[in-house]
Amino acid sequence: MGAIEKQRNILDFTLSSLGRRKGKNIALVVVYTFVIFLLASVLFFTHSLKKEAFLILQDAPEMTVQRLLAGRQDLIPTHYIDTIRQIRGVQSVAPRLWGYYYDAMSGANYTLMVNAELNDRAGEIIIGNGVSMRSMSGKRNQALRRNDIIPFKTYDGSVLTLKVRGLLPFASELVTADLILVSEADFRKLFSIANDQATDLVLNVRNAKELSTIAAKITQIHPDTRPILREEILRTYDAVFDWRGGVIFMVLSGVFFAFIILAWDKATGLSAEEKREIGILKAIGWETSDILLMKFWEGSAVSMAAFFMGIFLAYLHIFLASSILFEPVLKGWSVLYPSFRLTPYISVYHIATLFFLTVIPYTVVTIVPSWRSATIDPDSVMRM
Amino acid sequence: MHVVRLIAVAVFLILVLPLPGGAAPVMVAKTDKCPVCGMFVAKYPDFLAQIIFADGSYVLFDGAKDMFKYYFNIKKYQASKDLSDIAFIYVTDYYSMTPIDGRTAWYVAGSDVFGPMGRELMPFVQEADAAEFIKDHSGKKLIRFDEVAPDLIQGLD
Repeated sequence: MGAIEKQRNILDFTLSSLGRRKGKNIALVVVYTFVIFLLASVLFFTHSLKKEAFLILQDAPEMTVQRLLAGRQDLIPTHYIDTIRQIRGVQSVAPRLWGYYYDAMSGANYTLMVNAELNDRAGEIIIGNGVSMRSMSGKRNQALRRNDIIPFKTYDGSVLTLKVRGLLPFASELVTADLILVSEADFRKLFSIANDQATDLVLNVRNAKELSTIAAKITQIHPDTRPILREEILRTYDAVFDWRGGVIFMVLSGVFFAFIILAWDKATGLSAEEKREIGILKAIGWETSDILLMKFWEGSAVSMAAFFMGIFLAYLHIFLASSILFEPVLKGWSVLYPSFRLTPYISVYHIATLFFLTVIPYTVVTIVPSWRSATIDPDSVMRM
Repeated sequence: MHVVRLIAVAVFLILVLPLPGGAAPVMVAKTDKCPVCGMFVAKYPDFLAQIIFADGSYVLFDGAKDMFKYYFNIKKYQASKDLSDIAFIYVTDYYSMTPIDGRTAWYVAGSDVFGPMGRELMPFVQEADAAEFIKDHSGKKLIRFDEVAPDLIQGLD
């Protein structure tokens, strides 16, 4: 009981002593919070992006086959399916139709994809949340709803009006935000694509060990094609997000070093006033261990407060405020997502990493100089 | 009620009928171990082989090679059982990764595809599949179940 009571008293004294040097400590907490906030934001953001990409690609087919024309992706003839299906180990081959549509009215690029469920419902579309908010009708603040009509300009110059059948679920905003699902007939009409052509082919392969053999055979049979494995796509996404995270870290490293200098200054050099305080405490009977305990509580109070505030603010920033600060750097090629909310993924590992890189070192460095002055004779400290 | 029964019968027919005789391949449990090498089988579904006895008991292997080792030396592993007690043998087809009848399967020895226990006998449901595999993966020999000899299995190790 006595031990707890003692800790409580020391903590009580520490907090009121922090209160006495209000200006200095508040400034410190603010800077500290800001640094944690920035670091945590980057961590949360890149982690969530990677996680989303991973979730999306999990269900992706093992292999995609594109046709190249002079080094650029071109439409692939659907009769390639017959020859590719003959290759042993290929379970199924399916053509895909997808592309981008630039809507001049809203200045947005939409991703159009053919969905088999809509094939017997030509004239209807299912749209992502972002498309709905930035409606092509031009009325900015009015979300599109079921049965609304969106006009599309086809590649032969005529207008194709399609009716909204529903909205895509929220599950992953990142990919579905700008997505429009259409029927095959409408897609071909919109982009004037012949019936025997597709955007690319997707393959299902049961035995992952056969993937490279199958890819080699495809390029042998059809030298104008390029097979892409799912693992390659995943690796590319990872690299891209890591690179973007790295760019932000570079920019932030300046802030981080400024913080280290501040903490170092605060931690290593005790002000004369603080030294005097330690001297007086010793003179009135405090033990060296009590003073160290007080300094420990002081360091923890400052850094824990900053840590939790920083994490909390970063969470708000990334998952509720659509990462306003990072938007231009991290979002990449399509900056047209009207609102960009990531599904929150936070790993304990990241929080722990951040904790051990900031709170623990800070608490430790504040104790060392106090220990140095706490071991000096109180008389000489007070005379200084 | 009637509909439920119909569905049950249909599921039964779909699952069981295409397989020889009737005993379906067993589902691998996490704790099943290969009696020959002692490794957990569930980690290597791509190479799974199984022997099902007439009394319903079964043993699972992490490759056709270990299955043959057991088959040729059954008394060593299970003294109470005999070759005549074996009802079904299943191996996993390389391309489709589904269980196929081990006695009618085609086996390729000596290829550049390795199983959990090193060099393997790769099983195929069709001869043409096996021939293609030999071409792609520098296989050495194409054999039927009856032609697999203890020497050949020893040679794989």
